[in-house]
Amino acid sequence: MRQIAIYGKGGIGKSTTTQNLTAGLAELGKKIMVVGCDPKADSTRLLLNGLAQRTVLDTLREEGEVDDLSQIERVGFGGIRCVESGGPEPGVGCAGRGIITSIGMLEDLGAYTDDLDYVFYDVLGDVVCGGFAMPIREGKAKEIYIVASGEMMALYAANNICKGIQKYALKGGVRLGGIICNSRKVDRENELLREFAKELGSQLIYFVPRDNEVQRAEIKKKTVIDHDPNHPQAQEYRNLALAIENNTQFVIPKPMTQERLEEILIEFGLMDSIKDNYHI
Amino acid sequence: MSGAIEQPRFTCALGSCQSVVAIKKGVPILHSGPGCGVQVERIIGQGEGYAGGSTMPCTNSEEADVVFGGEKKLRNVIENSFKVIDGDLYVVITGCTAAITGDDVASVVGEFQLDDKPIVYVEEGGFKSNNYVSHSRLVNAIIDQYVDKFNEDREVIEGLVNVFANIPYQDPYWNGNLEQLKRILTGIGLKVNILFGNESEGVSEWKSIPQAQFNLFVGSWAGLDIVKHLKRKYGTPYLHFPYTPIGAKETSKFLREVAKFGGLDEKKVEAYIDREEKKFYSHIDKMASFMLEFRYGIPRRFYSLADASYSLGFSKFLLNELGIIPGIQFIVDDIPEKYQESVLDEFSRISDLQRRDVQVVFDPDAGLDQKKLLEDAKDYENKRILILGSSWDKHIADELHGDLLIVSVPVQHRLVMNCGYLGYEGGLRAIEDIYDRVLATYR
Repeated sequence: MRQIAIYGKGGIGKSTTTQNLTAGLAELGKKIMVVGCDPKADSTRLLLNGLAQRTVLDTLREEGEVDDLSQIERVGFGGIRCVESGGPEPGVGCAGRGIITSIGMLEDLGAYTDDLDYVFYDVLGDVVCGGFAMPIREGKAKEIYIVASGEMMALYAANNICKGIQKYALKGGVRLGGIICNSRKVDRENELLREFAKELGSQLIYFVPRDNEVQRAEIKKKTVIDHDPNHPQAQEYRNLALAIENNTQFVIPKPMTQERLEEILIEFGLMDSIKDNYHI
Repeated sequence: MSGAIEQPRFTCALGSCQSVVAIKKGVPILHSGPGCGVQVERIIGQGEGYAGGSTMPCTNSEEADVVFGGEKKLRNVIENSFKVIDGDLYVVITGCTAAITGDDVASVVGEFQLDDKPIVYVEEGGFKSNNYVSHSRLVNAIIDQYVDKFNEDREVIEGLVNVFANIPYQDPYWNGNLEQLKRILTGIGLKVNILFGNESEGVSEWKSIPQAQFNLFVGSWAGLDIVKHLKRKYGTPYLHFPYTPIGAKETSKFLREVAKFGGLDEKKVEAYIDREEKKFYSHIDKMASFMLEFRYGIPRRFYSLADASYSLGFSKFLLNELGIIPGIQFIVDDIPEKYQESVLDEFSRISDLQRRDVQVVFDPDAGLDQKKLLEDAKDYENKRILILGSSWDKHIADELHGDLLIVSVPVQHRLVMNCGYLGYEGGLRAIEDIYDRVLATYR
């Protein structure tokens, strides 16, 4: 069983990419579970065709305990088992602890069955506290993919996430499998991401081009493969799935200093000069 | 540097709940995990008072309260506390769990405050400090959120004094000491807000805090933040007497300082002091023959494992009135560095007759202190020693065949009701108790 965590800046397309990618893996006959680790609980909507799903924490809140996996698990496209951790209402309680609680609960309920080929954790934007690092702690995901684009903030976030990974990599077995580019059609995006990944000691595992078909499928509450299997974008996600299936490059990332990251950005024309860096 | 320490003789910040228990009809409401209150009570509590110990309302926060926030549960516990406990002042105290999760306790309590309920809150996430520090935070919260409401255009009452002294329950003799303080301060002509314990008039007394002519803080450091806060808030001047006055000499000195600060009638004050001193020494006179004959029977040296207020107070009393020489003084109250110098300075002036160097060790690690004490005591083998400590020092007193007078928490080997060692009567009580310990070992 390969356990994979997907990280990346908020709004970069982690959930969209994870669901389209797992749809591709499901087509290859893989048995998959997707665990949404975002209080917004929107990680499995496309796989379940919008079917309302009760989150682990909703169930816990309303019923006090979760007795059976069937209370919180729904099966979606291609037999993918879907679970949403959920969270407290915004601004209240501790969402990080919520993730720890619900992952612990999945283990107790025996969700991690031997027949699974993949477990995917779709984690919220940044590793803000210990709770959001739960999926990459000891005994959980050993592989991480970061979704990024050629936009500056996406790269800042990705670099920052690598710092978190480095910490857990040194004491556990977690490794970075690569960067997935979810294109925003920024100039020289492919080259920039390749250079960025190389600098981290990793690879750009796949470049997913921008295509409005993704949005069209989302409106229909579907993954691209489910919505229009013959669309070229569906093939892109199949290719991504294959790249991950065949990936052998797992590294401890070497996060960059702020200066080095900015140098790369200047080199690729994202920043004309250091003056444009609004951090300064 | 953080590290482990053995036998801390205080509690986490949540321990300030005991200060609420010490207010007449005060009700602490804990927003903490189950067991926190009991742990506090086992270290610094003796008896549950009005609504303390196991009767303390508590949210008993558990995992669901961490994940989803504990505000709803807190609101529920407050509502029901009002229904089942007839209190005059309710104080919500948050523990670690709620403090880490970030529950908006201010707004929950604020709803009740808008309804004009006598309730305040204080965030005492256990990790924030120990209870020596949190006590001041709690008292200041009561002043800011409750007392201040009654302060509209009220004039200063001449001769009214607010008294802050050792921390209730952290000082096992707090109640008796406060009774003595009220007695002697009333004796010299003051009107006294003693605020905690039996002699207090309860919450109504608190309401006149802003009207005091001056504030009095009797103790080395823990509580200083209260009188400083009152000075900033209401401009009330304060007098700081830096230790617990025990016996005639120190108590008279204390009263003279207070009288001077408060501008009291000197004649009246001196007449009172004279009366009290005569009474005090008459008891010693009665026992003169016995005490003289017994002079080789009582301990010649004493060690303290106590807070700075007691260690200083007893050192002055035992040396100057009973002739017992201070050995190493272990100050275990985790006194902040900025106050240590003034304590050392006070020790350097312990005797009016001759310079005496008292060895003082500031270390809250009482386990280490005990080790040092045992080492030092080797030099005085076959000489009777007295230890001023807690129940946790019983085994070393036994080992050294010494006498133990308990002046610090935890107290498991005696029952404390109105016993106090402060003042004239407290001094007599201390003499009785020390001789009692010694005589009890005779066959």
